[in-house]
Amino acid sequence: MTAGAIPEATIRNERLRLRLKAIRSFARRFTNRPDGVLGVLVLLVFVILAVAPNLFVGDLQTATTASGASLDPPSATHLLGTDELGRDILNLTIHGTRISMIIGLLATIVTILLGVFVGIVSGYVGGRVDVFLMRITDFFLVLPTFVLALILAPIILDLIGANSSVFGIRVTLLVIVVVIGVTSWASTARIIRSQTLSVKERAFVGRARVIGSGGGHIMWRHILPNVMNLIVANTVLVFGGSILTETTLSFIGLGDPFAPSWGQVLNAAESAGALGLGAWWYVVPPAVCIVLVVLSFTLVGSALDDVLNPRLRVRR
Amino acid sequence: MGSRYLIRKVVGAAFTIMLIVILNFVLFRMMPGSPDRILLRNPNVSAAAVAAARARWGLDDPLPIQLVDYLKSTATGDLGYSFKFHGEQVTDVLLSRLWPTVILFGLGEVLAIIFGLALGAYSGWKRGGPIDYIGNGISLILYSMPYFVIGILILGVFAIGLHWFPTSGMLTIGGGDESFGSQLLDFLGHLALPVTTVAIGLIGQYSILMRSSVIETLGEDYVTTARGKGLTSGRILRSHALPNALLPAVTLIAINLGYVIGGAITVEVVFNWPGLGTLTVDALEARDYPILQGIFLLLSISVVVANLVADLIYGRLDPRVRA
Repeated sequence: MTAGAIPEATIRNERLRLRLKAIRSFARRFTNRPDGVLGVLVLLVFVILAVAPNLFVGDLQTATTASGASLDPPSATHLLGTDELGRDILNLTIHGTRISMIIGLLATIVTILLGVFVGIVSGYVGGRVDVFLMRITDFFLVLPTFVLALILAPIILDLIGANSSVFGIRVTLLVIVVVIGVTSWASTARIIRSQTLSVKERAFVGRARVIGSGGGHIMWRHILPNVMNLIVANTVLVFGGSILTETTLSFIGLGDPFAPSWGQVLNAAESAGALGLGAWWYVVPPAVCIVLVVLSFTLVGSALDDVLNPRLRVRR
Repeated sequence: MGSRYLIRKVVGAAFTIMLIVILNFVLFRMMPGSPDRILLRNPNVSAAAVAAARARWGLDDPLPIQLVDYLKSTATGDLGYSFKFHGEQVTDVLLSRLWPTVILFGLGEVLAIIFGLALGAYSGWKRGGPIDYIGNGISLILYSMPYFVIGILILGVFAIGLHWFPTSGMLTIGGGDESFGSQLLDFLGHLALPVTTVAIGLIGQYSILMRSSVIETLGEDYVTTARGKGLTSGRILRSHALPNALLPAVTLIAINLGYVIGGAITVEVVFNWPGLGTLTVDALEARDYPILQGIFLLLSISVVVANLVADLIYGRLDPRVRA
């Protein structure tokens, strides 16, 4: 059989047709999960808020541009009331969307890159490399990583100074991103490794090796596309977890007061004693946003896992 | 149980603890300024104490020897001096804050395991029923809530709104001369809300875990066999499905302990409970590194030990994993 017998265009069309078919079948199976679709819709709303918060509430208010009195209850001018500095809570919450989502996104990217790299290399190379990498992975799985994050963040901040900025992103936020990433890649690595182990036994990997492909090429062109399904589902779940971790770290006082995420707003509410003063409007909006976003990520993630994970699909 | 399994698990745990201690050493070196600069910055430590600490930690020796010395002093419980607490020994500070945390999380865990596993088992058994539908929904929502958000909501409603419980602390200040009984009641009153928060935070996870474990077990062949023998479904659940579903659920609970501890620190902050969680946050604000490292060491070693215990129990109950 020679490849020349089939025109190049036919191959391309066929490939396109198969890809479209796969996408259509994925869409059909995903829309069968109403919880997943609901999650996507909620997340869409928050993404819009994160992309253009200024369209809805104007610039982020600071202590000097605060528009109201201290701890005003909700009213027509301040739909969700004000904080102790007189800043509008609706304004803070919507701008918090952007910061929480960006930190969540960046931390997710770090986590997934580390986890996928360790997982694929460990699974494909095997032997001593595998044993070594999995020892480290297990170590990070057992470790109370949140506590590690707690001591890493201030150490790094003290080393490089909290008030500098890189590419216009404040260093405090970047430190949180790195700390979340470094402490949460382990479970991703485990999942990807086990899938890599099964993919590398398939015939096409053996054939690629026979025609002389190197390890790096095989991992990049053959293993990675075949674990992509798992990566996608895992990314969504990790995203929710990252937002949760960021919220908790900021609440404890490791966030950046000049770029308030939802956790940071709750931290401010806690230090101002907002609840004791009866200022529920200071606490409820960011709390509701956190729960909505994390819940949506969990719903979308588990729906994707059901649809994309080959192991689960065979069983049903 | 097979002694090889036992030895492998114990050696693995010892190796992990070793790595944790070394990580702690490395972090200690990474800290801004050398360790003795930090000690000197602390006005509460006398010059003689600094000299003694330098000698004990061997700060003038090369790094490998320092590591050995560090391991020695850590093994004997010498974790250095706190900056914030007037130069007290870290070990003493940690010990004084330990038991409030143990009571809070011990009790919270027990409550969560009982109710979470029961809810999960029932939901999985009556899959698709109304309890499953509502229970699973609530579990998912709880699972998505940080512990401190649950704490803030509970505090707002039951302590600040309804005045049913005190808002913060462990005992009413200035109530020292009362009888033991009324002191105990006072303590329990302060304990009620934080324990409820910890329990509610965990119930969601545990019930989701148990539900999927039960569903998986109900699909096994031996359950079909039991059904074929004509056993009632209650009997099948009690003597066939539950014991087998419990095993993976309990192991996963032990593995999750590390995450639980981290998130639960914040519950103490919300209720101002004088345990390790509030200590952590105070130490963070004061950048009290010796205390932070002590907490990290204490918590991670506890988690490793808990995992080891879970592994050993699992090995005892399930002969398949011993091989």
